[in-house]
Order: sequence, then C-alpha cells, then structure tokens
Amino acid sequence: MLASLSLKLFIREIRSGYLTSMLLSLVLAVTIVSGISLFTDRLEKVLNSETKEFLGGDLKFESNEDSIKDVLKTLNLKDSKSSEMAIFASVIFSEEEMQLSSIKAVDNSYPLIGELELQNSSGTYKTKENPTPGTLWIDERLKNLLSLKYGDEIYVGDATFVFEATIIYEPDRGSTNFAFAPKTIMNIKDLDKTNLIQPGSRVEYNYLFTGPEEEISQIRSTLEKNKNPGDDIESLNEDDSSLGKTVDRSENFFLLGGLIAVLLSACTIGISSQRFARRHVSYVAILKTLGMNLFQIRGLYLLLFFYITLLTLVLGLTLGWFLQSNFISLMDSYFPTELPAPSLYPLYVTCVTVLICQFGFIYPHISKLLNISPMRVLKNDISFNQNILPIFFMGLLAFLLLLFIYTNQITLSLIIFSGVIIFSFVGIGFIYLLLGKSKLGLGAQDPVSLAFSELRRRKLSNSFQIFAFTVAIGLSLITFSASKNLLGSWQDSIPENSPNNFAININEEDKASMKRFLSENDIKVNLFYPVANAQIVRKQDKDNIIDRNFNITWIKDLPEQNEIIDGEWFQEGVKNGISISDQISERYDLQKNDEVIIQMEDGSIETYIQSIRAVDWESFSPNFFVIGHPSLFEEKSTTHITSFFIPKSKQMVAAELMREFRTVSVFSIEELIKQVRDIVNQVTKALNSILLLTCLSALFLAFAALQDGFDQRRHQSAILRTLGATGKLVKTSSLIEFSILGLVSGLLGSAIAYTGVYFIEARVFETIPGFYPEIWLMGPIIGILIVSGLSLYLVNGLMKQSPKDLLRLQT
Amino acid sequence: MILTTKNLRKEVPSGESNLVILDDITFSLEEGKSLAITGPSGSGKSTLLALLAGLDTSTSGDIVLDGIKLNLLDEEERAILRKDKVGFVFQSFELLPGLTALENVMLPSELKSEENPKEKGEYFLERVGLSDRQHHYPNQLSGGEQQRVAIARAFACSAKILFADEPTGNLDPKNGKLISDLLFEVNSEADNALVIVTHDQDLASQCDKKIELKLGKIVG
Repeated sequence: MLASLSLKLFIREIRSGYLTSMLLSLVLAVTIVSGISLFTDRLEKVLNSETKEFLGGDLKFESNEDSIKDVLKTLNLKDSKSSEMAIFASVIFSEEEMQLSSIKAVDNSYPLIGELELQNSSGTYKTKENPTPGTLWIDERLKNLLSLKYGDEIYVGDATFVFEATIIYEPDRGSTNFAFAPKTIMNIKDLDKTNLIQPGSRVEYNYLFTGPEEEISQIRSTLEKNKNPGDDIESLNEDDSSLGKTVDRSENFFLLGGLIAVLLSACTIGISSQRFARRHVSYVAILKTLGMNLFQIRGLYLLLFFYITLLTLVLGLTLGWFLQSNFISLMDSYFPTELPAPSLYPLYVTCVTVLICQFGFIYPHISKLLNISPMRVLKNDISFNQNILPIFFMGLLAFLLLLFIYTNQITLSLIIFSGVIIFSFVGIGFIYLLLGKSKLGLGAQDPVSLAFSELRRRKLSNSFQIFAFTVAIGLSLITFSASKNLLGSWQDSIPENSPNNFAININEEDKASMKRFLSENDIKVNLFYPVANAQIVRKQDKDNIIDRNFNITWIKDLPEQNEIIDGEWFQEGVKNGISISDQISERYDLQKNDEVIIQMEDGSIETYIQSIRAVDWESFSPNFFVIGHPSLFEEKSTTHITSFFIPKSKQMVAAELMREFRTVSVFSIEELIKQVRDIVNQVTKALNSILLLTCLSALFLAFAALQDGFDQRRHQSAILRTLGATGKLVKTSSLIEFSILGLVSGLLGSAIAYTGVYFIEARVFETIPGFYPEIWLMGPIIGILIVSGLSLYLVNGLMKQSPKDLLRLQT
Repeated sequence: MILTTKNLRKEVPSGESNLVILDDITFSLEEGKSLAITGPSGSGKSTLLALLAGLDTSTSGDIVLDGIKLNLLDEEERAILRKDKVGFVFQSFELLPGLTALENVMLPSELKSEENPKEKGEYFLERVGLSDRQHHYPNQLSGGEQQRVAIARAFACSAKILFADEPTGNLDPKNGKLISDLLFEVNSEADNALVIVTHDQDLASQCDKKIELKLGKIVG
C-alpha cells in the first residue's frame, strides 16, 4: 500500500512541477560532483603514470660516482626492477662535423617504464629495447647538425658507432642535468670502448627503481643511509614543472568549483524542501486524521525521497559521465595514451554528497512536517514555522560536513564556514539596524514607502533571503576570481615572446661576439648570467657540507621573477653577501645572516646570507638557487647562460649560432611552451564550464530563495490589487525592495569573496594572493541585476494572473 | 444606475472546447440599492461577482459601473476604478496576516493617498465595535471579528458600491446574523449600493433585489 501510494505521490509531485527546483539542484549537484570527481580521479591516475614516466621509475638515485653499486648488490629485491645509466657530455663526430652532445649510456633494463619512439629510414616505431652494442640513437637536432644519414658512422671518444635511429620520444625525459645538449643514447657495454670516462671526468650515474611501494621505501632508506654529499634521491610527486603545477592547480580549481556548486545546490535543496514541507502540511494532517500512523507516514515520505534520490542519481551520474568525457576530450591531445578507468571513489563521493544533502537539508523539514498536528485540518492557522532553529542547525552542520569532505582540511573548512556565517550575520544585523522598527501602516501610498515598509516588516524572511543571495553571489565571485587568478598566473608565466631558447656554456671571450650575432639577427639580447657550480658549507659547521651542488650566479640587480621575503637585496656600498631561494633555506635550514663558505673549483669564498628570495620557478627564464654579490666573484672563471626569443621565421638562427660558437649549447623550450600553452587553453575551456555550472547553481539558489518568499507575497499582492493597487505600484515597490536586498547581498558577497579568494589563493593554489578591486563593484551590480531581475520575472508572473484567481474565488 | 450588465457571457478553456460559466446575464442596479445573487454551488455566482467588480474580464457582453464601461478598461484602469469606486468583503476575510486590524483597515486610504488613514481606520473599527482590538493581528481574532475588520476595511474605501462574496459563509449562525446586520446597517449609513453573493436565503431576503443563477443563467 505504502509503495503504491508513495509512487503515486512521487509521480504527482513530478508532474505538478513543484519539485522542479529541488530536482534540478540535486541533479546539478550530482552531475558536478560525479563529473568532477570522475575527471580528477582519472586525471590523477594518468598524471601519476606520466610523472613516473618522466622520472623514469618510482625512485631515482643520482650520483657523481658509481660507488653505490656495491650497496645496491646488498639489496634483496624481489619484485622490483632497477636500471643503471651513465650520463655525461662529450663532443661527438661525424665524417664532416662535430657537436657537443649529452650522452646517456643505458643498460639492458632500459627503459624501466614506458617506451621510446624512434625513427629510421622505414619510418617511426615504438620500442621497449635499449640500443644494441655498437649502435647509437641521437635526436633530430644532432642528426641535422652532424649532417647524418641512417647507417652513417659516428665517433665517440675512441669508439666507432653506427647511427641507427632518431629519438622522437624518450620516457625518462627528467633523468638528467645534461639535457641541455642534443641527446645521444648508447649501450652501457660500449662505455669502456670510448675511453671517455677517466678519473675526474664529470659523469652522472643514475639508478632507477620501480616496484611495490614497500620495497621502494626500503630501497630509499638504504640509499639515504649510504649516500654521499652531492648525491640526490628523487621520487614521485616532486613535479615542480610548469606543466605539473598547471594541471595540479586546475585540479584544485575543479575541486573548489565542485565544492562551491554543491554548497549552492545544497542551499537550494534546503529552501525547496521547506516549500515542499509547507505544501504538504494539510496532506499530512489529513493522512493523520484518516488514521495513518507516524511510522507509515514516515515510510511514505522516505519512499518518496528514495525515488527522488534514485532519479537524481541516474540522471546526475549520466550527465556527470558526459561532463567528464567532455573535459577529457578537451585535453586528450595532451595525454599520449588512453586515460585509465576511474576508481569507485567518485561514486562514493557522489553518494555521500547526496546522503548529506538528504539528511542535512531535506530530512529535517520532513521530520518537522511529520510532527504537524491533525488539528491542522480543523484549524488552518496552526503554525508550521515555529522553531526553525534545529533545521537551520542541521543545515549548517551538513554545510560544514560537505566543506570538510571536499577540502579535507578542517582549518580551511572552518575558515570558509565561519566566513559565510559571520558575513551573513553581519549583513542581517546591518539590515535590522538600518531599517529600524516597523511604522504604522503598509506605506501603500507610493512605491518607495511600500518597498521600505516591506523591508521592515519582512526582516526575518528577508534575512534568510540575504543569507541565500550572499552565499550565491559570494561563492560565484570566489569561483570567478579564482579562475581569473589561475588564468592570469598562467598567462603571466608565458608572456608573448617569452624566451624560447636557452644558451649555456658561453665563454667570457664569446660573450661580446654572441651578443653581436644575436643583434645582427634582430634577436633581443637578454641578460647574460655568469654561472658556476658550487657547494655551500656552514662556517660554524665545516664538516656538514650541504649534500648537493648548486648553480650560482652573481648579478647586481634582482631578477624580475624573484621576490625578497627576508632581508634586503644588495645595497649600494655593500660588497658582500649572497641571496638564497626560500626552498634552499627551508630544506637545509639556512637563515639570514648565517655565515657560509662557497666552495668552487678554483677556490672558496667566505660570505653570509644577506637575503632569502621566493623564486617563480614556473617562469621560462634562467633561475638560480644562489645569487652572490658580483664583487665576491670578480676573479672567478665562469661561463654564462642567457635566454632569447627566436621567432618561428628564424628557426635556422639557432643552428647557425651553434655552428658559429662550437662550445655553446643552445636548447629550445619551444615545444614545452607550446605544450603548456595548449594545456592552458584546454584547461581554460574546462574552467569556464565549471564556472558556468557554478553560476547556474547560484542562479537556482537565488531563484529558489525568491520563489519561496513569493509564495507569501502572492496573497498580499492579490489583496492589494483587489483593493485597487496598480500593477505599477506593486512592480516598482518590488523592484526597489529587491534591488536593496540585492545591493546588500552583493556587498556582503563581495566581502566573502574577497576574504575567501585571499585564503584560497594562499592556501589552495599556493600563489601570491591578488588584489581584485572589481569584486567590490561586481558583487553589488550582480546582486542588484540578478535579484531584482528575477523578482521582476516573478512579479510579472503574478501580474498576469487575475486577482480573482489569486484569491481563489468560488465559481 | 450604478451597475448595468447586458448579455454578459464568460467562457473558460476546458480541454479542446470552452466551458460556459455565465451566459446572457442582463440586469441593472440603482444607486444605494442592494442586490442578492443566489444559486447552488458551481452556478457561477462568484464569477459574476468578479466580473462586476472588475476583478476579471468577460468573454462578451457589457458591464457599466457608475457610467464606466468595464470592457474598455485594461487591468491597470480597472485597478484604479476598484480603488475609487469599489469595496469588497470576502467569505474568507482576506485580511493581510502581517498587518494589525487597524493597518488592514488603513490600507484603502493609503492606496488613495488620503491624509489621515489612521483616523479613518480607527473610526471604522470603532463603528464595527473593534476599538479595543486595533493592534491585534488577524490570527489573534475570531472569525466573526476578522469579518468585522473586513467590513470596516470595505467601508473605509468610501466606495460607491460594495461587493460581498458569501460574507457569512465561514461564520456560525449567531455571528453570521451579527455580520449581516452590521453590513446592512453600515451600508445604509454610507448610502452605497450593495451586491451580495450568498446561499443564505435570509440574507438574500434583506436585499432590495435578487437574482438566482443556475448553470450560469439567470433563472429567477
């Protein structure tokens, strides 16, 4: 009986259209949550495997010596695989040309992860093999520079090789510090034949490992214990690249957008449920009068909401799947392989969200509805609106719970939660103070008096509307500003004509002629940074060498993409000191004024840390961990590094430059810039979809809040019109009243957004918070336009109905 | 004549065809006189009242109220006409729940931008015997009291014609009698025309004129 009655009720509710805003909000929430969580889940999986491929394994050990080999033999690896490679720079020769190359000698396990894409005279092909002894693979630039054909001989040190293939793609792109020079891959068995590795040669030995997490952490701890100064251990999730951060931040934005859309939808669901409950008061009272017990009525409504949940889940999950497919198709050119299937986590998050919405925003209203007295049938004015505090409290609790589930940070959740509550209460208090006590009469003489009289009389219900509008405007503005901040920071990081080529190993004597060469070819000459390799030692603790080498430069002016966060940049008259990056300061506990010794190949310099800098590593410019005062390094021998922009039309200049200056290595980051630009363009489209969905949720919320208020106004409007109030009076007064509500909500929304954006940029995106004066203008304008626009739409609807219909006169 | 109708017809869409609610209604009412419209439920009494008061529009036919042809007016003009010439009393009182008894009675004066709505409101509340309940809200008043407030509001309109839709329909016989007496008493003082829709034959018999509707037509 209950099942059939609830089904009938469900069908009737759907047909009546009264459930539309609740259903739409639930479907929208499920769509957004499932779409975003499905997308981020798959994105995370693919990024993880991409990072793994970029690194070449799960763990990488870098050393300038191969002494760790003996330690590795002691490791009892069961399920893990390892690979060894030696990387060094050397000049290689063809019959006609010679060129500096970054040579990677690999063992038989190479590549541990992924596959190489090569090209030979028959075309391109993929392989998981390493080069056979006696053959070489080189990259396209080197092939051109050496004027080689497949099968030609190449000379490396004392050995002769056959040029077998061109490298199009290699998985472990992040494997070497020598990547600046065109790449050569050879078999490690041929290394001795070349006689290039002698005591004192600069070689980097890389050991890559892949396998189960437990074994990898065991290997890591063994390596940590046995590593020497200068050795480095790298593992996954240390991707600091522009691309990594771009995708990482956009993922954060998707989650934020999802959270905001869900919060907005939750508020809409709360308001719609209140309307639903109000409409069902008589229904429940009649059922009780007819003898249905509370258990049965509860069952009836639980079944009804079970159908609603089922319908919204089916619709929402289907739409969510389309949404994530759309995002993935936008970005599929970035991912070389098909994205992995999602896990069950998105489904879990979606179901939990729906449950919280049900129990936090719907069930309290239904529970209150079930308590209505059957006397209501006899006495129509039994109040339904008393004691709304428990409902409000449950809603707030669910709001906080959703925040926590999505941010996974209790502090951030509490900040957003308190922000919304405080600003809403400030606004409500402000309205109460501003409007003061009601005056006698309705003030129906003119639209202004009527509007202000309505504002005064409906202070409590207006407060709830202000709360809803404030949440809608504030959260939409947060999404808008966050997307603007992301896009802005990405665009700023790759300005038009930003350097797309780097030149290193520039000798002092080549500096002037290279500048001339660039100028003659109409290429803008940027700063030439002197650069040297150095180690830092604390003066007080000489034995404690900081276990890595740094590239150090010395310049007078602070580079553009750097910001001093502690201390001061070199002042006039001071001729000492170094400035270090905040990462170095944190990792090695180096503080301002610490005395240090800089150990270089040709001697040491005693100095102190004058300042600590934040460095924008995403910028496509030379960046340095350590910058010294130029006076300290006057006597030091050095090479230089510079960057410049070569337009597409002048691509040949790079090859000419390398021919002219044999010792200089030029490497292009054009592909990387293009890749980042492409992904930014695609992510922008996805961001805009999220922004659109968030705004749609906000619009639903504003509409639901207004519609709720209009139920109560409908009767008043009918009486006023019956008594002779013109439509113009009713419309104008509503317009004034809602414009004021919109203005107040807009101002409060701006305040929430301004504060929220600050915390989100600083805590979620980890960027320097921006300054957005336009928020203060946008909030009130959007508030006035949307709130008064929607109210006008609703008032017009009322005006179309005859007062006779509104008063329901009997025929 | 304060009110004249000629060949009045009202149809409403019902499925693919139109349902005739009122057909060929012709009558007139002199100034200061009262008219009762009676008939069974669904006979079209309230629809006729809504048309006469300018709350709804007819499909065809004419209504002339105080010399003004209602058919020629749009909703805004009809609203102004209601404000200036018409007062209402409804079966379910239709007071604004957020306003006190006094504020409800002040409403017509406010809409007319009259100088002293408060004094006028107090006068009419006193006239209906509710001076001591001025500041009570509708939900604090009994049904009879609410209807008395509604009557006070109707007379505060200074209307030329008063329309009452089942004014005693929601009241017990004792309160019903009190209200109908009050209605006629105040009406005779104001010298208004009065149109009452009612089932109550006693109430109808107090009117100067009576028309009976059946299935949308005048039958008596």
